[in-house]
Amino acid sequence: MRTWNVLLIFMIALLAACGQSETKTKDWTKESWDEIESSAENSEVRLYMWGGDEGINRYIDKSVAPVLQERYKMNLERVPMDTPEILQKLQTEKQAGKQDGTIDLIWINGENFKNAKENDLLMGSFTETLPNYNEYYQTNAPAFQTDFGTEVEGMEAPWGKVQFVIYYDSEKIQSPPQSFEDLQTWIHENPGKFTYPRAEDFTGNAFLRHVLYAQADNPEDIYKQPLDEERLSDTAGRTWDYLNDISKDLWRSGEHYPNDLTELDRLYSQGEVWMTMGYNESRAESLIEEDVFPASTRSFVLKPGSIGNTHFLSIPFNSTNQAGALAAINYMLSPEAQLAKYKPEYWGENTAISMEKLPDQWQKKFKSVDRGASVLPSKKLEESFLPEADSDYVDWMKEQWFNEVVQE
Amino acid sequence: MKNNKPVFTAVGIVFFIAPLLLLLLQSLSAPWRFQSGYGVDWKLESFRQLIRDPYLWEATWWSILIGFLVLVLNAVVGILTGKALSSYSFKGKPWVEALLLSPILIPVLAIAMGLHLFMIRLGLADTMMGVVIIHLVPTIPYSIKIFHNSYQQMGKALMEQPHILGAGFFTQLFTVELPLLRPALRSVTFLTIVISLSQYAITAIIGGGQVLTLPMVFFPFLENANASLMSAFSLWFAFVPVVMYILVEVILLLLPYSRVPWRNHR
Repeated sequence: MRTWNVLLIFMIALLAACGQSETKTKDWTKESWDEIESSAENSEVRLYMWGGDEGINRYIDKSVAPVLQERYKMNLERVPMDTPEILQKLQTEKQAGKQDGTIDLIWINGENFKNAKENDLLMGSFTETLPNYNEYYQTNAPAFQTDFGTEVEGMEAPWGKVQFVIYYDSEKIQSPPQSFEDLQTWIHENPGKFTYPRAEDFTGNAFLRHVLYAQADNPEDIYKQPLDEERLSDTAGRTWDYLNDISKDLWRSGEHYPNDLTELDRLYSQGEVWMTMGYNESRAESLIEEDVFPASTRSFVLKPGSIGNTHFLSIPFNSTNQAGALAAINYMLSPEAQLAKYKPEYWGENTAISMEKLPDQWQKKFKSVDRGASVLPSKKLEESFLPEADSDYVDWMKEQWFNEVVQE
Repeated sequence: MKNNKPVFTAVGIVFFIAPLLLLLLQSLSAPWRFQSGYGVDWKLESFRQLIRDPYLWEATWWSILIGFLVLVLNAVVGILTGKALSSYSFKGKPWVEALLLSPILIPVLAIAMGLHLFMIRLGLADTMMGVVIIHLVPTIPYSIKIFHNSYQQMGKALMEQPHILGAGFFTQLFTVELPLLRPALRSVTFLTIVISLSQYAITAIIGGGQVLTLPMVFFPFLENANASLMSAFSLWFAFVPVVMYILVEVILLLLPYSRVPWRNHR
């Protein structure tokens, strides 16, 4: 019994000790950039981000962190954590009124951003303070103004963009399909050689949204309109017809769909299916290098186009080093850092910078980068670019796909 | 009852040893693509990639340290509670037992937010102690159950005997109870370490990234189609509890009446 008393006293003491919390730090967006930079010096910035890709991890550790160290004597610490967990942590800290958080920078987009914005988990509008953002980015571009239908309002800064492509083995397929009708024919001609992940999966859902775009009279009807089931009913009907038509010639006759992209990748790696996909036009490069994908892997996009999205960097409401975070974001948006990210050496991901705004010498540097044989030329990607629709479509697709396709 | 040894050996090889060997083989070679026409392509690339992860060692040490602390707390709480449950009878005892088991019936994630809030108030969020305490939630019920059963099997008479002979609490614990509890200690060691080592979500939330354990580094890599890398990670993951288990085994040898190799036996 005595131990319990001791423990109780200990806990009460702790409770009392943490009653008083720090007062809110000042509003850095109102300060001059010089002020921000000098305050960022000799500080520590903790970047929380998904850590499941070695190339991305190494880009941060080996390319971004050393420059920040040199420039600001700043210590950029990468912490691997999944975004939903980060948001849950912030949400609880918000509720507990904890103002001195451990997170200074997060990598975010889409549904997570919507969630964070709605729950006031972010610092606020800050992109206008960033010199590099104002100088090199098309600040009024729709891709930066909205994120899966959520108004960005300067609360996150674009870090990169990716586009959806389908990968195929060029040794097995001479000329890949050009449109969704072609794909339909191809699937019937090659039964069992194509499938897509379930609608609950991020990539599977994106594939299904492409089908929806393709069945609409015009893709604009989807991405420019909020979700309205009544208006959508014709398009939706054609989409289910299309999916049910191909389903019997899918892998395992469509009785089973891969649970996630990883499963589809494994099937492709084993040669069971001849195509895989991904919401990242350059993701096959590292997989080819690791011998997971055959070296003859190439990619293609289908008419009417390929959906692309932007991903962003943002600062949580309780970051204790907002000035440092701003300086770090500003560097990560610079042509220099974006070029290093664009090179296949580490990450190989497309830049969010607008080429027209760059000085000639930088444009040349970007153009001279060889992204690898499996990546489509940027012109082709740009021509086929389609924006993402409202995030309500994602949930709608999850529900309807199960009812209309799986249960048929 | 005939001799079942050959059957046991065969089942053991097919279901336990063969998969492990496959894992080892896969981790030491390039990913297998059956259509590619090559045989096994020996490569150390996956282990190189594993070792190159800057957080590997940090996370391994954190995991080991946390695992041991969780184990010690489990042993202390489990032994005391188990003994109390088996030696006293009181009103409402079934309720107390049910209450002690409840943490494994309620998903930890369902109460994670409340616990996090509580930990923030106590100042334990983002600290190692916080993570150790949260790891007690999914482990302690098992420990209590295991020690309770062991004490039950020992019986009250064996507890009364040293008492009559004049042994104090600690003498009794170290010379009678712990040596007899050795199998239970083994089970608890293994369960506790494995459970503590594989907690991802609650470690991430309570540890807040300040406490980096192995799952924090590994779990994101599960979304990877590279089977070789996955095998290397899995082997590393399996290696840690085995080492810890051996360490505990050595500590157990220090208990009285152990068959230690350096003492003469009949």
